[in-house]
Amino acid sequence: MSANKRTRFPIPDSRFPTSGEFVFATAQYESGDWDSAPLVPANLIDSVAKYTSLPVAPTGAIVALASDDLFRFPLVFLTGHLPVRFTDAERTNVRRFADRGGMLFVDDHNHDIDGAFHKTAVEELTRAVGPLSRLPNTHPIYSAFFKFPDGPPNTSHELNGWGDNLVHSHLLAAMRGNRIAVLYSNKDYSSEWGYHPDNKRFLAIDNTRFGVNIIVYALTR
Amino acid sequence: MRPLDRVMRTRRALAATIATRAALGAVATVLLTAAFLTAALRVAGVATSSVAWLVAGVAGAVALALLARPWARLTVPRVALWIEERVPALQYALVTAVDPVGTASAAFLEGEIDRVSWDREAGRAMMRGLRWPTLAAVAGVAALLLSLRVSVGGATEHDRAIPSVTTTPARDVPAPFARLVATVRSPAYAGGQVVRVESPASIGTLVGSTVVLEAPGSGEGITADAEDRPIAVHRVGDAWRTAVTVGARPAVIRLRHGTVERLVALEPRLDSVPVVRLLFPTRDTVVRAARGELRLSAEAHDDIGLATAAFEYIVSSGEGESFKFKSGTLGARRIDSGRDATIGASLSLDRLGLKPGDMVHLRAVAHDGNNVSGPGAGASETRVLRVARAGEYDSIAVEGAPPSEGDKSVISQRMLIMLTEALDKRRPTLARKTLLSESRQIARDETRLRKRVGDIIFQRLGDNPTGEESRNPAEAPPSDSTVSASDSMRGDSIRRATARAGRTPRDVAVADSADSARAALLRAASAATGTGDEILDFEGDETPVIAINRPLLEAYNAMWEAGRELEQGETGRALPPMRRALAAIQRARQAERIYLRGKPPAVVVDLARVRLTGKDHGAASTRLPRVPLDPAAARRAERLAAAIELASRNPAAAIDSIVMLRVESLDAAPQLGAALSEALAAMRNGRDATTSLARARRIADGGVHGVGDVGAWSGVW
Repeated sequence: MSANKRTRFPIPDSRFPTSGEFVFATAQYESGDWDSAPLVPANLIDSVAKYTSLPVAPTGAIVALASDDLFRFPLVFLTGHLPVRFTDAERTNVRRFADRGGMLFVDDHNHDIDGAFHKTAVEELTRAVGPLSRLPNTHPIYSAFFKFPDGPPNTSHELNGWGDNLVHSHLLAAMRGNRIAVLYSNKDYSSEWGYHPDNKRFLAIDNTRFGVNIIVYALTR
Repeated sequence: MRPLDRVMRTRRALAATIATRAALGAVATVLLTAAFLTAALRVAGVATSSVAWLVAGVAGAVALALLARPWARLTVPRVALWIEERVPALQYALVTAVDPVGTASAAFLEGEIDRVSWDREAGRAMMRGLRWPTLAAVAGVAALLLSLRVSVGGATEHDRAIPSVTTTPARDVPAPFARLVATVRSPAYAGGQVVRVESPASIGTLVGSTVVLEAPGSGEGITADAEDRPIAVHRVGDAWRTAVTVGARPAVIRLRHGTVERLVALEPRLDSVPVVRLLFPTRDTVVRAARGELRLSAEAHDDIGLATAAFEYIVSSGEGESFKFKSGTLGARRIDSGRDATIGASLSLDRLGLKPGDMVHLRAVAHDGNNVSGPGAGASETRVLRVARAGEYDSIAVEGAPPSEGDKSVISQRMLIMLTEALDKRRPTLARKTLLSESRQIARDETRLRKRVGDIIFQRLGDNPTGEESRNPAEAPPSDSTVSASDSMRGDSIRRATARAGRTPRDVAVADSADSARAALLRAASAATGTGDEILDFEGDETPVIAINRPLLEAYNAMWEAGRELEQGETGRALPPMRRALAAIQRARQAERIYLRGKPPAVVVDLARVRLTGKDHGAASTRLPRVPLDPAAARRAERLAAAIELASRNPAAAIDSIVMLRVESLDAAPQLGAALSEALAAMRNGRDATTSLARARRIADGGVHGVGDVGAWSGVW
């Protein structure tokens, strides 16, 4: 295949969604290392394209939490290792985003409940959207597309004893009505899903299937 | 008419003017005083108006008394003098004529006075006297109207601790509750302010405040409830009393007596969290060595009162997937209910034992004294102090990295091409000997450059970077029969290169024994670029090492060819391979360019490819249709429409309905609550509420959106 033929797929001109397609957005915040999992968006986009018929943009977008562009995305992914301190504008936007029907998926790339990311992110999210509580493992997000009867799938980092050496049985969430406004994970999906999508073929079971559930849930609730 | 009669007529006009001026002045004083006091009280959150009107009445009476004092001076001689003052043509004839002692020349004086008319001048003077009181009265009316528009409890945060109460006109209050009085006491931490108001309609006060409602009477048959929970009604002396504590959610107290009902809305006012600002350090910073003291300073402000303030720090160490953290506080200080506080501390970087790469995250935190629903905690922005790693330079002291070997080569190759082009242009004018001398000089440079390219290839093959030719290229090349030790070392590399290029070990051994390493490399380059006898199958068995070296091998081959032509003085024929070498080196540079961290790699998923292959069939759950956006908002809109419908038939019931709707909207739909508040104020005061109700209905119907030009989501549906 020639180089010209390789680039036949469309590359979006804008960072922002065009009509009718889902754009996976990564949150950029002032503190910490927001870009610690740069391959996760492509991996989840690949999974959405593979398993669903959802119109999806081939690349993800980066959106500043303090920007009004945040409200253009139904689902925003936030990760990092370092302490998270929202600015006033970021905190206000996160609150407005949650109130307006958006869903923020926060993953602790540190996979450590004693780590600074977990402590500071939970504190900031509590200030922004209210306290996080355990999400029941029977919640519809675990059956939004694939079925996960035991709740959130475990990650290799958990099972290998990285971070806090715990296998977290539940995710945390802040609700708005019966809808998840903020989904918080200690399971380090950022590491679990942080590989090039072409390498997915080496896995016996695709470990990004739960990511598809999160996206489908965010788009349908 | 006699002069005395004319003076008496002017005296009556002056008396009327004085009375009018006094009345207007008194009215203006009352209105302006009442307006000022009403506005001040409403801003302070107190809606009661009886005190304001009492004070205004007293002020008006004083003004009336002062302005009426000239009445006592309206004697005939003084009036005559007043006229003489304004009409000098009388020349004191009038004063003399009205003198009660009388004069002999009265007839003469009357004739003189008859010729002069003062009515016009007197009338003008009296109108001047009335001008300012009239304007003041008009201003008073305007000021009073404006003061009534000041929202109650729209107090500055300075006065949030003071309860604010709106009242309802006494005519609208049913008989058993006509003399209802509310006593509101704010929580102790907020100073325990007490406000007592007659005929309350809604009470805005801090969470945890106590509200006591009482009225004269036995209280027989009176019941009270709040949010469907009954409240006890006690008899105290000759009055009845009921009390509630304001919770976190808005509520309505219902007082009932038979079929008569009275509503009092409770609007909890939330205590704001402290606002904290970190003054020092002013910005994030990077230090080379973590030594010395770091000055910290912050200021905090709270609407009610601060309790404590301190600095917090977190030290994070590590990188990649391994981080360690430690945290602590310093500079903690107790503040006794002050609204503003400044804290300072000094952070010893030596004690923290920071290592290169560590980061210190600093912020200031303050807590208020809220012991009812708090304490509220506020935090400042976080500043980060980072210790630079060894070998890391900040943005000021950036040292440019030397160009890579490939880049050096391309610069040199471009220069050689320019030299060769210049020589080729001068070629017709040069003697053969001179041409050969200059051309061979370029050939030696080309050989030196080819040696560097060969070194790069050797390095990548994992071998001695000294390269193909360690001798001075100016020296005579070694004969093929005298293979040096370094050549034999390089021979291994060439062997591996050629083996990777698809040749058998036997071929390689034969090649090694026959040629020098240089010749082997040249052959490998020829094979790699397809210019030799043997064509390598890179498509089938191409390793990354061969792939990345391929452009350089091609360049090596072209440079060899160019050098051979230059040795013979054929500058024109040397140029094409030199240009091919340049192009090949540029391709190699592009292939190896390293992108520094800072921008995530843009992975573009080939959606068509993904969807055409390997489609799994997941066990999908049934998708449910999306529920209406907000059923509660729809219910609120319906209730508002019903209340508006009711307003024309039963205004009191409509007001009650809107009060209930407003209380329920304060949390869920604050915009609607504010609009309903305006409508209620208009309805209670008998004003036209159409505009307010229409605005409330637009908000309830969802027609009013947030600010900004945020577009619709790009959802799938």
